[in-house]
Amino acid sequence: MDARDKPRSRDRVAKLVLHVVLGLGLLAMIGPFLWMLLSSFKSEQEIREVPPTWWPRDFGFGNFAELFDRLDFPTYFTNSVVVAASVTAGNLVLCSAAGYALAKMRFPGRRSLLGLVLGTVMVPGMVTFVPLFVLVSKMGLTNTFAGLVLPFLVGAFGVFFMRQFILSIPDELIESARIDGAGEVRIFVRIILPLCRPALATLGILTFLGSWNNFLWPLVVATTEDKYTLPVALALYSVGQNETDYGLLLAGSVVVVVPVLVVFILLQRHFVRGIATTGLK
Amino acid sequence: MRGWTRPVAALGLATALLAVAACGRDGGDAQSEGPGTAVGAGPATGEINIWAMGAEGEKLSALIDGFTKDNPDATVKVTPIPWDGAHDKIATAIAAGETPDVALIGTTWMGEFARTGGLDPTPENLIKPADFYGGAWDTTVVDGTSYGVPWYVETRLFYVNSDVARKAGVDSPPSSWEDLKAAVKAMKEKGGADWGVSLQPGKTGSWQSVMPFVWQNGGAVQKEDGSFAFDSPETVAALEYYKSFFTEKLSPADLPQGALEPDFVKGKIGAFISGPWHIGILKDQGFEGKYEVWPMPTKVTGTSFVGGGDLAVFKDAKNREGAWKFVSYLSRPDVQATWFQTVGDLPSVKSAWEDPALKADPMLAAFGTQLNDAKSPPTIATWDQIAAGFDDLMEQLVKTDMTPAEMATSAQEQATSIGTGG
Amino acid sequence: MTARPQDAALRRGRRASRLRRAVTGWGFVSPFTLLFAVFMAGPVLISLAMSFTDMRSADVRDPLGVNFVGFDQYAKVFGDPLFVKAAGNTGMFVLIGVPLTMAAGLAVALGLNSGLTKFKTLFRVGYYLPVVTSIVAVSVVWRFLLQPDTGLVNSLLGLVGVDGPNWLDDPGLSLPSLIVMAAWRNLGFQMVIFLAGLQAIPANLYEAARLDGASRWQQFRYVTLPMLRPTMLFVAVITTISYLQFFEESYVMTQGGPLNSTLSVSFHVFKQFGFGNYGYASAMSYILFVAIVALSLLWFRLLKRKDQ
Repeated sequence: MDARDKPRSRDRVAKLVLHVVLGLGLLAMIGPFLWMLLSSFKSEQEIREVPPTWWPRDFGFGNFAELFDRLDFPTYFTNSVVVAASVTAGNLVLCSAAGYALAKMRFPGRRSLLGLVLGTVMVPGMVTFVPLFVLVSKMGLTNTFAGLVLPFLVGAFGVFFMRQFILSIPDELIESARIDGAGEVRIFVRIILPLCRPALATLGILTFLGSWNNFLWPLVVATTEDKYTLPVALALYSVGQNETDYGLLLAGSVVVVVPVLVVFILLQRHFVRGIATTGLK
Repeated sequence: MRGWTRPVAALGLATALLAVAACGRDGGDAQSEGPGTAVGAGPATGEINIWAMGAEGEKLSALIDGFTKDNPDATVKVTPIPWDGAHDKIATAIAAGETPDVALIGTTWMGEFARTGGLDPTPENLIKPADFYGGAWDTTVVDGTSYGVPWYVETRLFYVNSDVARKAGVDSPPSSWEDLKAAVKAMKEKGGADWGVSLQPGKTGSWQSVMPFVWQNGGAVQKEDGSFAFDSPETVAALEYYKSFFTEKLSPADLPQGALEPDFVKGKIGAFISGPWHIGILKDQGFEGKYEVWPMPTKVTGTSFVGGGDLAVFKDAKNREGAWKFVSYLSRPDVQATWFQTVGDLPSVKSAWEDPALKADPMLAAFGTQLNDAKSPPTIATWDQIAAGFDDLMEQLVKTDMTPAEMATSAQEQATSIGTGG
Repeated sequence: MTARPQDAALRRGRRASRLRRAVTGWGFVSPFTLLFAVFMAGPVLISLAMSFTDMRSADVRDPLGVNFVGFDQYAKVFGDPLFVKAAGNTGMFVLIGVPLTMAAGLAVALGLNSGLTKFKTLFRVGYYLPVVTSIVAVSVVWRFLLQPDTGLVNSLLGLVGVDGPNWLDDPGLSLPSLIVMAAWRNLGFQMVIFLAGLQAIPANLYEAARLDGASRWQQFRYVTLPMLRPTMLFVAVITTISYLQFFEESYVMTQGGPLNSTLSVSFHVFKQFGFGNYGYASAMSYILFVAIVALSLLWFRLLKRKDQ
């Protein structure tokens, strides 16, 4: 056996161990999701059983039938998609631009702005809720898409995140482009954005998830049913004053989670090494 | 870091200015308003916007046809809103002045919303208080003025596993506190149950199970002069009675969430206290017909808790006349009976109970009878907070060695320091 | 010293370039800043002002009609035994929860990034699932896991002869149980961010280290960790901010009990807003804010790169 074989067998053992450990962890992670998925096909009685069952005794689509029957699904789904997509797009573009400026440009007031942004990230969310709503209503934006989207079109979190990421891009890259005569916008679009793909993908996923699952704000801003988003509609039909319709709630939760997973699966392939490194010499 | 100080100072100044702009309230406590201005005769016109939660919101459209037949120039638009978050939605709507005409409001929220000045007092000429169950009507009265109309009600009874009760030799509902205790004991010792009864061991909403016993003993939340009566001897005695179920191991103190219904069905729990919604839940579990309901026992009275939903019209309503006319329509006995058949809500109007559908079902009749002796907590703006503190103390009473007297004193201190929020 | 014409030109040039830099810089940040000022800074100012008044829900229709009370609400918060308890619970949650979740998230990210794994997508999605699973489903399953008699945890403990306690109903064990649940729930979120950070580390650095004969552990210590510093700082700050405001786990699983052992400051604030004590709840929120700022500054001091 020569020197090349030994590292390979060590690698294979390490691979196996890693797969086993991660695999066990994976089981622990997906347990509740699996239960949620399986239980959406159960009867109300079986869902409430203690200890909880796994595979449904009587597999049925009743909950889903009721879900699509009672809820005006197309409207709520469209609303959720439009709102979440707009918020995500806004964050990706505006926060990366601001993050780039705060990370790599020197301009007066930059440190104060950064301080303010960071400060706002740290304000507990609950406290600004009522003032924000009164503000939005005084602007005449209740029950409008603008009212649903504008307050979240940018986030202090997004700017902070992009800034941190862009900081790790070597200055030489940018300086050499500047010396070559490239304008800031060109540098931003041609150099920075491609290098930021993992960060943009991450921010996209997180922003989409936050916006998609947002409940309290759409509830308060919408005053007619046709502006409700999915989480609001789901709560409307499944949570009562004194009891909850778990079958409907779980079926709804499964349906609500599918787009998030789709976005995640689509974007996560951008956590790919290589793009980040090929630009460097 | 130094770049921060200037903007922070500017912010501080702006905030201070805003805060100091608070000019202070004029006058002392809020004056109580008289009844609302009379509503004109004749049919309703215009658009009427109503917010309603849950099933009520979903199915209300079924009743609208009847209204529009009598009021052809009026259109009713229902926006259903989820119970989860409804309180916040209504509060923020009042804050921004963007309310609908009418909304369904939980009975325990009336005090708080009425005090904002955002609700319109009930006009006398349209609604007669005597038509409604007394306890339910009281939920609409804040500072002597009524701000709404009870739409549907619920009250609490004992749900009892018939099998366990028969095995324990308990064939009729116990009528006194002693009889109740004996029955529960028998259900544990002879009826084969692990626990004779499952009472709420403190935590959110436990006051709805405890206060009835205080009321049964002749106690109350407030004295005549408005001060609190949590440390009265009647209250202490009721707390002692409630705690004894736990110290004598007749009720579990740590039942896991979700275990109540399965254990009740299996006969591990002999009885529990709840409202009419459990009829549907137990039916889903296939337990229909295998349980019975008992009224509250009597000490001085046999009082239970009454809750439900009230309809209120907002001060910022765009169509006040139409709104009140619609509310009055929903309070007609025949409409209330139809509503029961549509959604299962118990009518708040007494004469609606003459309807054959309600009279025929003995279980519902039991709820109806109990409604004649059911109370609600005072409509003070701070009730939610006082109740939460009470629930906290209940948990300590049940799970630690705190004595009923100590708990009563603490509850009194807490409530007094919170005040009535006038 | 006499001014030379070149100096003046130099100064003009410098001023021009500074102006240009200011314009470009502000051009890039202005859409963000405008939205930020209106929808974030504005409400913050208003709520901060609210904390210096005795505003209650009864005042919403006449907000300027409240009384200015200075720091009274803040003093009241510190004298509130429930707040003190909640603060203790929150502190514990952060102290144990943040390192626990970060270590777990980093470990998983490293594992998935090491290039040794197949089924990368499956693993990434699987570890992220708890973050997106509805809290209702999460709570049902975790309550089952922790049930005293029939729960999985106690059954496993029973196999080794240990009589497991009632995890969620024991005032001493309820908070640790929630911490573990929160770590489980949030490590996927961190894993995603760590993965992004790990991708940004240039491969040639690892090559150079390997050529120098560095072992895997040494590569981790001398290449990965230092290059991950900005990401770690970010994750640490975000997780601390999030955990200082922990609310959902307690709200759904234990409702703050038993005996307020899982009551968090955020939950207490939520309840107070629910009771309509707007001024008091705002004051408590801003005290929490101060704690958040303080802890974040601490992280910055620990993990900031010297060249920032």
